[in-house]
Amino acid sequence: MKFRVERDVLADAVAWTARSLPARPPAPVLAGLLLRAESGQLTVSGFDYEVSARSEVSTEIEQEGTALVSGKLLAEITRSLPNRPVEITTEGSKVTLVCGTSRFTLQTMPVDDYPALPQMPGASGAIAGNTFANAVSQVAVAAGKDDTLPFLTGVRIEINGDTLRLAATDRYRLAVREILWKPERADAEAVALVPAKTLYDIAKSLTSGEWVTIALSGEDGAVGEGLIGFEAGGRRTTTRLLEGEFIKYNALFPSEYTGAAVIETAPLIEAVKRVALVAERNTPIRLNFSAGQVTLEAGSGDEAQASETMDAVFDEEDISVAFNPGYLLEGLGAIDAPFAQLSYTTSTKPAVLTGRPAVDADHDPAYRYLIMPIRLSG
Amino acid sequence: MRLVIAQCSVDYAGRLAAHLPSARRLLIVKADGSVLVHSDGGSYKPLNWMSPPCTLKEEGQGGDALVWTVTNKAGEQLVIAIEEVFHDSAHELGVDPGLRKDGVESHLQALLAEQIETLGKGWRLIRREYPTPIGPVDILCRDAAGATVAVEIKRRGEIDGVEQLTRYLELLNRDPLLAPVRGVFAAQEIKPQARVLAVDRGITCAVLDYEVMRGRDDPSSRLF
Repeated sequence: MKFRVERDVLADAVAWTARSLPARPPAPVLAGLLLRAESGQLTVSGFDYEVSARSEVSTEIEQEGTALVSGKLLAEITRSLPNRPVEITTEGSKVTLVCGTSRFTLQTMPVDDYPALPQMPGASGAIAGNTFANAVSQVAVAAGKDDTLPFLTGVRIEINGDTLRLAATDRYRLAVREILWKPERADAEAVALVPAKTLYDIAKSLTSGEWVTIALSGEDGAVGEGLIGFEAGGRRTTTRLLEGEFIKYNALFPSEYTGAAVIETAPLIEAVKRVALVAERNTPIRLNFSAGQVTLEAGSGDEAQASETMDAVFDEEDISVAFNPGYLLEGLGAIDAPFAQLSYTTSTKPAVLTGRPAVDADHDPAYRYLIMPIRLSG
Repeated sequence: MRLVIAQCSVDYAGRLAAHLPSARRLLIVKADGSVLVHSDGGSYKPLNWMSPPCTLKEEGQGGDALVWTVTNKAGEQLVIAIEEVFHDSAHELGVDPGLRKDGVESHLQALLAEQIETLGKGWRLIRREYPTPIGPVDILCRDAAGATVAVEIKRRGEIDGVEQLTRYLELLNRDPLLAPVRGVFAAQEIKPQARVLAVDRGITCAVLDYEVMRGRDDPSSRLF
């Protein structure tokens, strides 16, 4: 194998693919990246039986071939190379990488031992990369971190015609985002449960291309069953789906609300952060709503206390609701609108955060963050 | 166990010298010969102490004043000058049963045996502490399809737990009436290294929620 490639092109392709390499590979070959030079294309791929990644770039190929080298080392080397063309050659069991005056010789691992990458399922549709990354980050924040109940660590993806719905919950809050996308077929229907952290990383890394194609096999036995694939700008990645049923989350939203308060988002986030400084671990921040204002309070009794009052659009009967400050902040951070609307029924029933583009505009139900209040004792 | 509360000053002469000025302190003389000097603070930690083997010599200096000299094999000395004794008592404690660190683990085992369906619908318990020639495996059960499953329970799932389960599985799989036996490694938390090893050996990992299993969970604090 012998080819020449621009340093930036190579470094980007290698860095992106190396992201998904396992930290603790059960077999040494899985720590490798497979380089394949074939018909004018260099393919860099990695796989750990969970996540696969494949990046294709055009190169000048002198001699076709394949080589498997340590992915971590290759990523570190390509990242620190000078900005000159890179020439990669295999010589026996070694790979030589020459860039300007730098020269590296790397050991190769047997290509035959490397597992074949899973096949991508057929494309289901496409969505703008930035929109997708943004929507995923809004939802993934609510996913569970510990795997006592594995389905809580996933993001549920539901495809229903031209609507793509994402949902995640850790039993204390639930985030749901609906976006329009371009399905391959107008009657496309599919559901999947994708590990939240993997999905978040993938979505964030695929914003360079304009469109991200999402590939999900709709029926049993089709190509790529149990997988979801993403493709953008010559990069393809697949990840294994989580097993298990997601809860029927629509039933968790209250059917009707007693009232709602509207507060400017950015100052509220600042105020919550300040007041929450005195909230001990696992203690709530209280939101006391009264005509035209909200008072934030935290701390109690002999401990440190804080309070802050700010304007709010509110004209219902006074109410106090208490939340875990971390969960409240993550929800406010995710609504991505200048005004936040908190809709409630009672102080012990779940409340919903939604965004409002302006204080007098209607709220935007495309993103909803359901949050369980903390019951106040006494 | 002898407890003495006294106004005393303490001098330590050994690898480094230390002096505690006169104050009220608790002196403990244990059956193993150790002597500890405690203040009314500092939690479990004595101000000064001498580990066994050592000898305690008590000398009267007339009146109430006493000097205890504790000497160890290396010749280091703890000299306690007692000015006034407020309390002096001795108690026979007998042999201590020792700390049971696996209390949670055996409780988890009992709970999981009762709620074996936590691991999967239709699972049935064969028995707890199923004997093997190298020791009992925590739980042996059958999954919904009737296949035998060995469960090893740990508080913290680490590499040695996986190794232990692997050894049990190897022996259990020699029994034609049970084989094939697969393994489930169940713990409150599983270390990433242990998870990799378990998955590599075809062992399923299960994270147990102790609070939920013992019914300490409050569903009203959650959405569902």
